[in-house]
Amino acid sequence: MTSGILWVISWCDSIGFPSDLPQWFYALVALICIFCFVVVPSGALLTYMDRKLSADLQARVGPNRAGPSGIFQPLADLLKLLQKGSKKEWHWGENLWLGVHTMALYSTLAVMPLGSLALLVDTEVSAFLPYWSALVLALGTMLLGLSQGSVPGWFGGIRVAAQTLAGSFPALVALLCASVRAGSFKWSVLAASQGFSPWTWTVASNPFETIAFGVFVISGLVLLAIPPLDGGLSTSDIHGGVSSHLYGRRLSLYLFGRFYGFFLWSVITVVLFLGAWRLPLGLSESLAESESYKLLAIIELVLLLFKTLSLMLLITWVARVNSRSRVDQITDFTWKVLSPFSLVALVGASICAGWRAFS
Amino acid sequence: MKSRNRDSYDSDLTLWEIGPYHGSLPAPMRMSLSLDGEIIASCKVETGFLHRGLEKTCELHPWQAVISYADHLDPEVAVFGELAVCLAVEEIGDIEIPPRAKSIRIILCELSRISAHLTFIVRMAKAVGSETIIHYVLRDREKILDLFELLTGARFSLNFLRFGGVNADVTDGFIERVLEVCEMIRIRMREYNDLFTFNQGFLNRTSCLAVISPELIRTCGITGPNSRAAGNPFDIRKNAAYLGYDELDFEVPVGRGEGGSIGDVHDRFLLRLREITQSMEILKQIAEAVPIGNYINPNIEKGYVVPAGEAYSRIESSRGLLGCHVVSDGKSNPSRIQFRPPTLANLMAVSYLVPGIRIEDLPVVLSSLDLGIAEADR
Repeated sequence: MTSGILWVISWCDSIGFPSDLPQWFYALVALICIFCFVVVPSGALLTYMDRKLSADLQARVGPNRAGPSGIFQPLADLLKLLQKGSKKEWHWGENLWLGVHTMALYSTLAVMPLGSLALLVDTEVSAFLPYWSALVLALGTMLLGLSQGSVPGWFGGIRVAAQTLAGSFPALVALLCASVRAGSFKWSVLAASQGFSPWTWTVASNPFETIAFGVFVISGLVLLAIPPLDGGLSTSDIHGGVSSHLYGRRLSLYLFGRFYGFFLWSVITVVLFLGAWRLPLGLSESLAESESYKLLAIIELVLLLFKTLSLMLLITWVARVNSRSRVDQITDFTWKVLSPFSLVALVGASICAGWRAFS
Repeated sequence: MKSRNRDSYDSDLTLWEIGPYHGSLPAPMRMSLSLDGEIIASCKVETGFLHRGLEKTCELHPWQAVISYADHLDPEVAVFGELAVCLAVEEIGDIEIPPRAKSIRIILCELSRISAHLTFIVRMAKAVGSETIIHYVLRDREKILDLFELLTGARFSLNFLRFGGVNADVTDGFIERVLEVCEMIRIRMREYNDLFTFNQGFLNRTSCLAVISPELIRTCGITGPNSRAAGNPFDIRKNAAYLGYDELDFEVPVGRGEGGSIGDVHDRFLLRLREITQSMEILKQIAEAVPIGNYINPNIEKGYVVPAGEAYSRIESSRGLLGCHVVSDGKSNPSRIQFRPPTLANLMAVSYLVPGIRIEDLPVVLSSLDLGIAEADR
């Protein structure tokens, strides 16, 4: 049993659950907790902040009806979408997509790094698992498009596939760069190789890691078709592409999947390059020594989410003030610019790591 | 969608019909595209979905009502339709226009031109998925609509021109507000340029795309900003001046190929920005010296009947050369009214410009041509 489940066990015990429950039960409780108390609130918060920020940028008022300053607008939107049922029979292709999408969505919850005490899976392949899940998520989106039975869906699906193929290679190489510095693919080791100060983060350790950071972020946007690199999904010639026939509950599930991909990638970026959940002044060690595990887990989680949401808002801001690129321009840029840069970064980061090991 | 037919099996092309309502179309129209992958191999344009029988309606109503119907030739820039009819009627009736009325007409025309070009920026921004600039431009365009409301009482469908002048004199403070709006737009133009015009993403989407050549201008009869962006300095305000435009000092901007090629989409965009600047120059000159006097010819009575005869007027609308042929047989309503809208030529150019581009660029190219389907279908 990993240390990540220990907090679940103690919480279950305090609620009054029997102490001899199987491990899968605790893992399930942990996943539900992460989904309900971390991912969903983050989605609502980011949606609200995105709308308010966009409104400020665009000289608009933004949400101002549901709750004070429109704070409950994401909740109101979700409730509205959930009330809307399907008008047509489900197609087997859409069922397939839904299965793949859901599988990708929930499988990554188990490997999402949310703090030193919230690592459900911390193995030598941990860093790769969300990456593969992002690919599966993209595959689900492509299948959704192909199952629409319409030109916008087909074009959208094929464009998503093209973007995913183009973005996955530099993303993988950039991930290797961060792991070369840490010497492992375990989340705990990747985080421990950094500190609280920005100068100790992987991104600032050498110029090659800085390049790798840039490549990782941009290729993630390409891989998951996140604005402004969402040409595969949102251009007006295909009416929104793969989502053109979705509405109601299925649309809310689709939109949440898109948010989740963005959130997941941002969390990984923070853990790999931006100091993860590392606290200042040896706070982690002192809290652990005093056995204040709950407090430590909460502080680490808050810091990680703060960094993650800041990164997401920064990307959203860039998307709001830039034009949407064409899919062939995105894939060209990814293959011809990002991929060579990622290889240069890998070679450079390897040399730096070797130099540090031998010096 | 017609995905396959015999022709497409033979040629390995996919047929895709979009419209009359589709996100990539600027107005109701239908396009039959032959696609080679994502590249458009050929296209056929079908219009007429907005046909209202406008010319026939004009013939069935009294002369005074024709002006309000001419408003709907192109609702976005209503004053140009009114002006084309008025100039033709004034030529038939040999009606003298007071200098003050001419100045007010020029003010309305240039404000309409600026408003139309700002709307063009919005359409282009929408086509390339740039959201923020849309809100900025629409906010500024409201100031111009406020001026219309102040002068005419309406923001659209102004119905303000009359045979021999205009319906009312300018209100107190109107000229000062025109100058204020000009100054505000001059400042905002810098913001537009910083945020959008020279943004690398926008340049990537518009440079060297759908280039209009001098041959195409001749083949289709393209006029207006689309023609000037391709290097042809033809502007009716200079070449066959009306309303006293020849007494004003302004330049006719032409495309320079800053985006990579003369006459491409980016040139068409830049040219309209430059035309906004020139329109502001014209407005400043007019505002400094609005003549004192009547705003309408006092000899023209309310039930004025146009004498028998015919005339053809030409004006420079925001989309190009707008012609109006008016025939009168001396009765209380027109015998024939015919418009020559600039959008017809621009529509003809679509089937030359679209082949070879990717379907993602289709909305961008169509927006860059500034198609006014209302005036084409009439």
